[in-house]
Amino acid sequence: MATPPLLKPDLYRAEGAAGVANHPALLGGVCAACGYVFFPLQRYGCERCGGLDLAPRDLSGAGALLAAARVHLHAGKTRQAPFTVGAVALDDGPVVRALIEDGGDVPHPGERMTTALAPCVDAEGAPRLDLRFVREA
Amino acid sequence: MTATLADLRPVYVAGIGFHRYQFLSDTPYVDLGLTAVRAALADAGLAWLAVESAYFAKALLPMAPGRAMLRHLGASGLPIVHVENASASGSAAFRHACIEVAAGIADISLVVGVDKPMPVGRAESLARIGSLADDAIAPFTHFALLADAYAHRTGATVEDIALVAVKNHLNGSKNPLAQHQKVRSLDEILGGKKIAGAFTSLQCTPVGEGAAAVIVASEEGLRRHGIGLDRAVRVASSAGRSQRVYDDATRYDAMLTQETAAIALAEARVSPGELDVVELHDAFTVEEVEYVEAMGLCPDGQAVPRLKDGEFAIGGRCAVSPSGGLIAMGHPIGPTGVGQIAEVTRQLRGEAGDRQQPNARTGLAHMVGVGAVCYVHVLQAP
Repeated sequence: MATPPLLKPDLYRAEGAAGVANHPALLGGVCAACGYVFFPLQRYGCERCGGLDLAPRDLSGAGALLAAARVHLHAGKTRQAPFTVGAVALDDGPVVRALIEDGGDVPHPGERMTTALAPCVDAEGAPRLDLRFVREA
Repeated sequence: MTATLADLRPVYVAGIGFHRYQFLSDTPYVDLGLTAVRAALADAGLAWLAVESAYFAKALLPMAPGRAMLRHLGASGLPIVHVENASASGSAAFRHACIEVAAGIADISLVVGVDKPMPVGRAESLARIGSLADDAIAPFTHFALLADAYAHRTGATVEDIALVAVKNHLNGSKNPLAQHQKVRSLDEILGGKKIAGAFTSLQCTPVGEGAAAVIVASEEGLRRHGIGLDRAVRVASSAGRSQRVYDDATRYDAMLTQETAAIALAEARVSPGELDVVELHDAFTVEEVEYVEAMGLCPDGQAVPRLKDGEFAIGGRCAVSPSGGLIAMGHPIGPTGVGQIAEVTRQLRGEAGDRQQPNARTGLAHMVGVGAVCYVHVLQAP
C-alpha cells in the first residue's frame, strides 16, 4: 500500500533535518540580518527586525514541552475531541503549538518531545499524514 | 518631542451607562446601545446635543453600525469613528476619545461599545502563513496551555487557579449588570463541564451581548454646561502597545501586559501598590494570576497565596474585577473595555453599593486583544 501524501507539505517533510534524520523536519526560516529563527517559513519580512533576506532553515523537530492541555470541547468539524495540544520549545529556537499523540496520557512540562507522522484524512476524506509531537523514545 | 495624556489638559469620565450583559437575545443592537448611551448622558447630566464626537467600539457587528444607532438620539451631524481592536475595541475607543478631548479638539465625547455574538473570521488566517494546528487551538485552549505552564512554574494547583472564578462569581452576584449573577462554590466550578486542560465552563468568560457607554469631557466643557467636577473621575494616563518578539514566546499576553501597565503607571506617577481597584482581562482564570503579577500587584509566583489571603477581594488590599470581571460580568467584546472604565469610575466615585471597594482612590483598567494588543488606563477619584 502506498504511503499517503503529507497533509501540510509547506510546513514539514517526512525526512529529518541533518543530525536528527529519523524524525520529520519542520520547515522554518532564518533572518540573515538578525539571525532570528522562526517557523514556519514566510517571505513577508522578519518579525524581529523587519529584514527581507529570509532563508529556509530546517528545524529538527526535537524540543522540550512547555505546556499541554487535553481538549474536551471543540467546535470545528474537522477534528473530534478529546485530543491533546502542546507547546514545544524546539532546540532550534522557535516555540510551536501542535497536536500531541499521547493516547490520553498527557505529558508534563519539561518532557522531551519529537516529531512523528500520524495518519489522518483531509477535508475531502482522503488519507494523509499529519505532523504530531510524541514523547522522545 | 511627544506628549503623554498627563502633559495635555485634564480629561474626565463624566458619565457612565450600560445595557446589562446577557446571553444572545432578539434585542436589536440599536436597543442595547441606546440604553447605554441614554444612561450615560443622564448620569453626566448632559443633553445629546452637547456631545461633539462619538467613538463606537465593536468587533462583531457588521460595517458602520454607529450612525444607524446614534441617529435615534437626533442626527446632530457629529463625527463618528468606528473602532475595531478585537477584545480591546472599547479600550482603544476610550483612549482615542481621551486624546481628542485632551488635545482640545472636542470638549465632550461619547464612547460606546455594542456587540452581539455572530460569526467572525480572523485576519491572521488570510496571511497565508500555515500553522500546524491553529484550528485545534481555540482561545480557551490557548489559555489552558498557559495555565499548565503557570502551574508548572509556580506550583499552583488546578484548585488554586479556580479560586479566581470563586471570587469573580461572588463579585458578579452583587452586580445587576453582570451576565452571571450567582455565587459559585469551588466544587461547583471544578465539577462543571470540562472545556480544555484545567478549565471548566465557569472558569471561562461567557459569550454574550450588551452595551456600555462613557462620556469623556474636559473641565471647560463640563463647566460650560453647568456641571461641576464633584463626580468626574480623572483619566490619569493611557497606554497602548502591541506584541513584540519576546524571549518567552508563550507568555506574550503577560509580557505585553507588563510593559503596557508599566507605561501607564509611570505616566500617572502611580506605583502598583497604590492601586485600590483593578478591572482586568480575566476571560480565563489563569489570566488574573498572570496579570496581577505582570502589573506588579504582587511578586512573580505570589498571586495564588495573595488571592487566598483575600488581597484581591472586595475589601482586600486591591479589589480585582469587582464587577465580576469577564468571567462573571461577561465579555460581549466591543463593550467590555468601555464597561471596565465605567466600573472603575463607579468605584472611584464611591457609588458601587454592595461591591464597593472601601476608600477607592486610584483604579486601573486593562484589556488585551488578539493580535495581540494591550491597553491600560489609570483613573483617579475626584
